[in-house]
Amino acid sequence: MKAHRVVRGLLQNSSFPSFLMLVLLIILNAIIQPGFFSFQVFRMNFMTFTPLILVSLAQATVILVGAVDLSLGAGISLVTVVMASLMQNSTLSMVLVTALGVAAALFLSFFNGFFIGYIGPPPLIMTFATSTMWFGTALLIMPTPGGHIPQAYYMIYGKTLAGFIPVPVLILLVAVAFCLLLGRIKAFRHLYAVGGSERAARASGISVTGTKIFAFLVSGVFIALAALCVVGQTATGDARSGQGFTLNSVAAAVIGGIAFSGGKGNYVGAIIGGIILGLLINIIYFANITSFYQEFMKGIIIIVALLFGAVPRLRRELSHH
Amino acid sequence: MASWEPRLWPRFLLHKEIHKESLARMTVLEAKHIRKSFVGVRALSDANFSLRAGEICGLVGANGSGKTTFARIVSGLLTPDGGELRLYDKAVNLRSHLDAERSRMAMVHQNLSLVPEMTIWENIALGREKTGSLALLDNRGAVAQAEKAMETVSVKISVRERVKNISPDEKQLVEIGKALAKDPRILILDEPTASLDFHQVESLFRAVRELKERGVAIVFISHRLWEVARICDRLVAFRNGETVGELDFAVQERNEKLIIPLITGQEVREKVRRRSAQREKEIAGRGERGYALELCGVSLDGARLTDVSFSLRPGEVLGLGGLQGQGQEEILMILAGYLKGYSGEIRVDGKPLALRNTRHAIRQGIALIPGDRQKEGLFLEHSVLSNILYPKVSMHRGSFFLPRGRYQKLASEAIDTVSLVPPNPRVIVSELSGGNQQKVVVGKWLALSPKVLLLNDPTKGVDVGTRQNIYDIISGLAEKGTSVLLYASDNEELIDNCDRVLIVFEGRIVKEIRGDDINEERLVVASLNVEHASPDGRTP
Repeated sequence: MKAHRVVRGLLQNSSFPSFLMLVLLIILNAIIQPGFFSFQVFRMNFMTFTPLILVSLAQATVILVGAVDLSLGAGISLVTVVMASLMQNSTLSMVLVTALGVAAALFLSFFNGFFIGYIGPPPLIMTFATSTMWFGTALLIMPTPGGHIPQAYYMIYGKTLAGFIPVPVLILLVAVAFCLLLGRIKAFRHLYAVGGSERAARASGISVTGTKIFAFLVSGVFIALAALCVVGQTATGDARSGQGFTLNSVAAAVIGGIAFSGGKGNYVGAIIGGIILGLLINIIYFANITSFYQEFMKGIIIIVALLFGAVPRLRRELSHH
Repeated sequence: MASWEPRLWPRFLLHKEIHKESLARMTVLEAKHIRKSFVGVRALSDANFSLRAGEICGLVGANGSGKTTFARIVSGLLTPDGGELRLYDKAVNLRSHLDAERSRMAMVHQNLSLVPEMTIWENIALGREKTGSLALLDNRGAVAQAEKAMETVSVKISVRERVKNISPDEKQLVEIGKALAKDPRILILDEPTASLDFHQVESLFRAVRELKERGVAIVFISHRLWEVARICDRLVAFRNGETVGELDFAVQERNEKLIIPLITGQEVREKVRRRSAQREKEIAGRGERGYALELCGVSLDGARLTDVSFSLRPGEVLGLGGLQGQGQEEILMILAGYLKGYSGEIRVDGKPLALRNTRHAIRQGIALIPGDRQKEGLFLEHSVLSNILYPKVSMHRGSFFLPRGRYQKLASEAIDTVSLVPPNPRVIVSELSGGNQQKVVVGKWLALSPKVLLLNDPTKGVDVGTRQNIYDIISGLAEKGTSVLLYASDNEELIDNCDRVLIVFEGRIVKEIRGDDINEERLVVASLNVEHASPDGRTP
């Protein structure tokens, strides 16, 4: 009885299909990318995977509560621009500006969460509106890419700690620890309740508004981390540096089994979704596909990944109805 | 826990041993002249209610009489426009549900307050999760508490099951368990039995009586008047948002007939059950057309249905009885084209037919009236007119443009037939009361004049007046030759309306009861499938 439930629980787990997809892509990637299992390639890969995974986690959080964040990419850009325009060579300045960057990311998310929670516009439109606001502000501060990020600062991102933990992986571990902690916090349980059924949550005495703001703030933490990674990666401020992340994060979260309707899915899925997207970009790059086809292929593979996710549902529907 | 007590209970009452008597008689809840309006609609105009500790008080009234609104005000989900509310002899201003919970009040919601994607134990703990050190969740404690709660309502499913995977009646019991887990002093049950069969109702009643013994005050809201008459010590009736009467069963007889006039404001109309001999003649008179519907050895995988065979004559009302979830709904779902992958043969008008999908079934003249009107029966945000016309429009063939004038005439005829209140086709369905919504569900199939009407618990959560109304429409259709297959979780409805009743047990038809033999006792005995206990061995 119990074993049966465990097996069914595994198969019913929303991230099970994406896990299969992940295994498949790792095999494919290992064939195509030379030295896939070497430490150097592992380190290089995670420099690009980490921000993708982080934005996937950020997006997953708001999708779980029943919203979506289209301003995520523009938010990252704005944070990089602010940091690059203020940072000086002194250690104190680096620390302060980093803190300011994190605070800015949290504020941007809070702004979204506050309006969506209290005023109640559709999150899609609300965050689209704020995304153009953030983009506009970033352009105002820095019309062309530039600013100054001290070498000592951005070099940290490429470092390896204790000989075997690359900094991007360390950042990921911090994020994972944060996820684990969240899993045991009351407000996080409420996040699933609100996403699953707002009415039921309200009837259970949960503050729906507060929970939505909480979700956006949690998302803001991941966005802040992602923005720091982007700064480390590009070493400049660029009003367009975050653009690609918005829809990539939505795709990653959904591929990872986060239901777009909210309340269903988990962070494991979001992480898998982020890695899948990273592997996918890798594969397309190393497969020597001309740039014209690259984007096209990416689209095809995303659809395939979504089909994977739909298999259990389709099977259920065909058998019962 | 101790913090609220001195505030809510007068100090002398805390010595419970000495003042047990006075505590038992204490009024725990009193509402005076409560008013509440929603955008333009007055839901409550003058609601008065009082409740003593250790008492079960029924709250009855037609749909839209304000029972649920009242319960939601008392439990703090809604703020009243005016009036006075006293809890434990102290005037309160209930701002939110959380406040109500601090006063040890729990409500079992009619529209379930469960989150489908979460497990049973997560749902039971929802909103009042206990935290240990560092504000981390105490999951083990929550699981244990949930297990205890499920034991009180005698449900034997793992609390680790997700709510989406359990049946509607189990959901209802989980909902009740959730309220009990709060260890309430005041418990409000809003239609707790609507989706339960009599077996489950019995175990619910046992739990309710136990709570009463422990001094819990209980408000029992139900349309099933015989249940109210059985379990309650007292009852209060609402009509059009006002308290119109009260019955105290300590002095008055426990009789449903005394309750009905309070609800309807009219004298009881004696139920005219048609003489079955006469009905038999009527149906036989149409005999030359053969059977409208025949099922031969229909089975569904996983023993959900095994070898189901029956036939339905034109104009006959055939009931499906038995305990909840024995396969009655599966039979209806197969016939409506929802469930595929069955084996066996289905014949409509004598012709074998493989039902492909719902559309195909509707084309064959088979219409299903679902029990869950909010989910399957209606487009809540659309007008009555478009709801009534959807089936007609979707079946439209021929001209490129829709014949609007003719359709509007059809719709107003349907509105007439079901006597919708208000009789306005432009009204948005979600603004109608529950009973009238159900009338729209019935009405939308009239335009297609179906050959076979499938009814899946059509009067669930519908008041007595509307219930009669709906069954009048159905018997009217049957007289015109429509065959009706009726599943009702409530035996009374089967007794009043069916020419024959088939008892379904674990996916098989175990007994057929016809005509004058259809009565409560026989139905119950047959439902339990204890054949030898049957008073006589007459099998058809």
